[in-house]
Amino acid sequence: MINWAEEWSSFYKQFVTLGGYKRLFDGLIATVEIAVFGLAIGIIIGILIAIVAVMPRYKLLPKILDKICKVYVAIFRGTPMVVQLLVGHYLLLPLLGVNVSGVFEAVIIFGLNSGAYVSEIMRSGIQSVDAGQLEAGRALGLSFWSAMGKIVIPQSIKNILPTLGNEFISLIKETSVVSFIAITDLTKALKLIGDATYHYFMPYIMLALIYLVIVLLITWGIKVMERRLARSDRK
Amino acid sequence: MIENNILDVQNEKEVVVKVRGLCKSFDSLQVLKGIDIDVYKGDVVAIIGPSGCGKSTFLRCLNCLEDPTSGNIFFEGEDLADMKVDINVHRQKMGMVFQNFNLFNNLTVLENITLAPVLIAKKNIAKTKRKNFFIKIGNLFRKNKKPLIKIEQTLKEVKENAKQKALDLLAKIGLEEKANVYPSTLSGGQKQRIAIVRAFAMDPKVMLFDEPTSALDPEMVGEVLDLMKELAEGGMTMLVVTHEMGFAKEVANRVIFIDDGVIKEENNPKEFFGNPQDERLKDFLAKVLI
Ligand SMILES: Nc1ncnc2c1ncn2[C@@H]1O[C@H](COP(=O)(O)OP(=O)(O)OP(=O)(O)O)[C@@H](O)[C@H]1O
Ligand SMILES: [Mg+2]
Repeated sequence: MINWAEEWSSFYKQFVTLGGYKRLFDGLIATVEIAVFGLAIGIIIGILIAIVAVMPRYKLLPKILDKICKVYVAIFRGTPMVVQLLVGHYLLLPLLGVNVSGVFEAVIIFGLNSGAYVSEIMRSGIQSVDAGQLEAGRALGLSFWSAMGKIVIPQSIKNILPTLGNEFISLIKETSVVSFIAITDLTKALKLIGDATYHYFMPYIMLALIYLVIVLLITWGIKVMERRLARSDRK
Repeated sequence: MIENNILDVQNEKEVVVKVRGLCKSFDSLQVLKGIDIDVYKGDVVAIIGPSGCGKSTFLRCLNCLEDPTSGNIFFEGEDLADMKVDINVHRQKMGMVFQNFNLFNNLTVLENITLAPVLIAKKNIAKTKRKNFFIKIGNLFRKNKKPLIKIEQTLKEVKENAKQKALDLLAKIGLEEKANVYPSTLSGGQKQRIAIVRAFAMDPKVMLFDEPTSALDPEMVGEVLDLMKELAEGGMTMLVVTHEMGFAKEVANRVIFIDDGVIKEENNPKEFFGNPQDERLKDFLAKVLI
């Protein structure tokens, strides 16, 4: 049986009196940082790959670039996030001989991972726009990139943004694996609070609630965005 | 040698598009096997033929939405089949109207019509400015200063003119009150008439129509055909792939039958429908003219 009073008092002592909340706050910041900057890098990589994916394929260069992108996407979608972190941390970093902060390292690896997914999101978002739209633009004499920029991409945003929100949600949740490379994120912070007292009940309840609240907030944000986009569609 | 004389001496009529030996294959499927045709100014050419014979492919090759496998397409003094030609410039003068309208869903009706003229003018102005910049730099070292290229219209004027023209055209087809709505709120017939106006606003030398009424509810076919008839009467050069034999008979001055990748028969509508020669064409007409 759980002794509620004891769980609560030990948690209160660790969390408030001994300043555990500061740790939690730092952990929360690390988690959000990794997810936000990871997604930002992912979006940049995703855009670049999506551009390559939709480029007309007459010339050799787009063909080669496309092959490279395919390999990249295959690698990052084909291996678990933890494995990518471990390989990056214990193999690549020592090999490259660079010394960076843990959070920075995680941001890079999450960014690379996310880039693979975001590129797929963007590619399918662009391909979901009827090919006739691009053709009509080209038939009027617009260049490929003008037609893409003014006609196809604005229409694809409606498909891309909500899915990008989902990618952000899974990224937030996935950051919990960074403790494998010794970063104190939200999960690790609350585990440490539990470790200090051997009372895990309150910390883990709190952990679950915080993730839940973050995800619900993002979900709400996506809903608002979707409604806005739907409204601008019909005037 | 293929002669590319714009003025055809025999007919004393200006050739707008001259097609020679146009072939198009998709992988192993040979769709067009050598199309030859001269389209004169003011011609309205109706193109008919069985489904899958390559009518759409032929039109799409003309403005290089499909790259021809071989052959020549002479237009505005250049061979469009030549990959080195700047196709975007020529497409501006070759309007195209699609079966599915393809109005830009993210833009209002007005923006649909003005987008291309404004973007293109913007690009040209930027280009001229770039050229002038280099002339200016060059002039620093020249004794005889080279004159700058004059910019005919500022971007603001271009925008205003394009808007005014679009509104005028919309008024002409009775849709001026739709200028600021999005295409999703329009009927098929309205969409197609706006698509036609969008192509027409570029001042094209020739307009290509690929089954412009096939996706329409029957009661809307008439309004679109009427607009096309008006264009024809206004002297627009048109190539129209159509299943509307009435339009071919009434409005076109030439009808061509494509089958097996070539033009099997061509004639004026009266002879074409009244006295067909080709066996396949006789079969085809028997089926469609019930
Ligand atoms: N992009 C493509 N790739 C491969 N095959 C194609 C492509 N476009 C057309 N084809 C083939 O070329 C042939 C001619 O097609 P096209 O669309 O030009 O016919 P059509 O005369 O316009 O027919 P319809 O009356 O049905 O519109 C068809 O067999 C079609 O399957
Ligand atoms: Mg067709």
